[in-house]
Amino acid sequence: MSEEKIYLDIKDLEVVYSQAKKTVRAVNRVSLQLVKGKTLGLVGETGAGKTTIAKSILRILPNPQAKVLGGQIFLDGEDLFKKSEDAMYDVRGTKVAMVFQDPMTALNPLMTVGDQILEVLMLHNDYNNTEGLKKAGEMLETVGIPAERCSEYPHQFSGGMKQRVVIAMALACNPELLLADEPTTALDVTIQAQVLDLINELKKSYNTSMILITHDLGVVAETCDDVAVIYAGKIVESGSKEDVFDHTAHPYTLGLFGSLPSAAVGEKRLHPIGGMPPDPTNLPPGCAFWPRCPYATEECKEEIEFIKLAPGHFCRCIHSDKAHKALRRKE
Amino acid sequence: MSDAPLIQVKNLKMYFKVPSGLNHAVDDVSFTIERGETLGVVGESGCGKSTLGRTIIRLLEATDGQVFLEGKDITHVKGSLLRKAREKMQIVFQDPYSSLNPRLRIDQTIMEPLHNSKRFGSRDAIKESANELMELVGIDERLRMSYPHELDGGRRQRVGIARALALQPDFICCDEPVSALDVSIQAQVLNLLMDLQEKLGLAFMFVTHDLSVVRHLSNNILVMYLGQVVEKAPTKVLFTEQLHPYTKALLSAIPSVDIHTPMRRIKLRGEITSSINPEPGCRFAARCTYAKEECLQPQELVEESPNHFVACCRAKQINGL
Repeated sequence: MSEEKIYLDIKDLEVVYSQAKKTVRAVNRVSLQLVKGKTLGLVGETGAGKTTIAKSILRILPNPQAKVLGGQIFLDGEDLFKKSEDAMYDVRGTKVAMVFQDPMTALNPLMTVGDQILEVLMLHNDYNNTEGLKKAGEMLETVGIPAERCSEYPHQFSGGMKQRVVIAMALACNPELLLADEPTTALDVTIQAQVLDLINELKKSYNTSMILITHDLGVVAETCDDVAVIYAGKIVESGSKEDVFDHTAHPYTLGLFGSLPSAAVGEKRLHPIGGMPPDPTNLPPGCAFWPRCPYATEECKEEIEFIKLAPGHFCRCIHSDKAHKALRRKE
Repeated sequence: MSDAPLIQVKNLKMYFKVPSGLNHAVDDVSFTIERGETLGVVGESGCGKSTLGRTIIRLLEATDGQVFLEGKDITHVKGSLLRKAREKMQIVFQDPYSSLNPRLRIDQTIMEPLHNSKRFGSRDAIKESANELMELVGIDERLRMSYPHELDGGRRQRVGIARALALQPDFICCDEPVSALDVSIQAQVLNLLMDLQEKLGLAFMFVTHDLSVVRHLSNNILVMYLGQVVEKAPTKVLFTEQLHPYTKALLSAIPSVDIHTPMRRIKLRGEITSSINPEPGCRFAARCTYAKEECLQPQELVEESPNHFVACCRAKQINGL
């Protein structure tokens, strides 16, 4: 592990959103590390804080509603929170780029897609218009769209193609880190397969590191090297893909797998997680999952620290051995 | 009760006029659903699966073809006959956020069909059946006075299900009922639907793009592509031996959580074209790796093995039958 360079290092990140008199604790002391050239899957349900983490890296959290209460983010050794807003311009787009979830709304409907890619290119490079447009056309070709379509507007593209345009925009300046926020959720399965293949290929050819935000464990299985499972703003389990998929330790992760119809072939009923995700303005004390957890005891209401299960595999649960045994029994 | 199947659809067509021509949203679709059975309808967005569901329960007026409910032709019935037919067929919509009236309380939403049907008599009787419905779908009694915006997606979808069940229908069209929900909540709602089916003997038509969901729930599956049925088979058969190249590609595209078996994915070329003014031949031909000249002729749905229908003239060659 030692020769692998840690490219992104998030330490104890804490973000809150203030709503009228209420505070939403979106991200609670999250620490993440991403090795150069690898893909980290960030898995969790709606409202778990996945997108907030990605936006904190780019420092594009809505102001003034969102506040970073604490923590540090190091990108390639540099503390992003200490940078000036001007310096951040050089980070966004060139070093870190983001693919947003909804391709239907991430593009400007009044600009041709060529101009939109051009905008990114001109902002970060000394291209003139003709050079820029040529490069924009090349970017479109990389993602499998003919360059002639540069002069078309977003509404002339299908959902899958719009998502490719968004990916082309994100990759325009060869970013070192790509934040992909549910890049395929809005797409059909066959198109999703095409886009995932595309992302994998591009990642290989540019050696880009990536954080893939998703709630689909199938997508994680196909694209990621490492996985972090997030629940109510806290990482509950993290490790390599093999650790998390084969030696699932946290009851919440187990619940996610049990909820998948594809994993329950031959079984009549699914095994969902009971109850509802907690109210983020009023998180239960200790492990936020205990009200829904079948193994919960009194101790779970205390703050739970990460437990190292194997090198690189961490879990925030004191009952993971029980959960693990239950899994083995089922098999 | 007659011997006729609960729902029988014959050569159903639903065309929409659009500025650039005629959108063949549903083109010549036939199938039957027996009591207590589930038919899964799968396909990608724009393939006409939702339109099919809506045409059957008469939210849309069919262009051509027939729909039979318990042997009676209901394709064009009007007035009280239509009302009667609708009591037996209900729908659960895709988006639990937009399918509930934001200005009606939960109990009002559930009681509305009961009031409308006039079968249930007094106010108290209606209130009581609303309570029973809420219990049946697992909504807390204390939420009856809440408004939809106070509930999360999973609970809202339960309200939608309770509303669909209110008139004790025999058939429910579920139009992507879980696609707007989180994974853990999805599983809860799917379990609920399966329990209700067992308890009440309902027949479902399950419209979805999520193949793993239909695999879990359905007896039979209908695969649609741009308005046409490309393959129809019992679930087990479809998942073990698909005959149509599109079905094969669709199944291979499901991301699997099994990280040890490498994926053997069939790559499709290009994007879904549209069903507006389609050419007479196979609509999938432009993306199909096996496409030949004969694919430009109209394709017939042929029974290759018992109950297994496929609309591909090259199915025999491709699959070595």
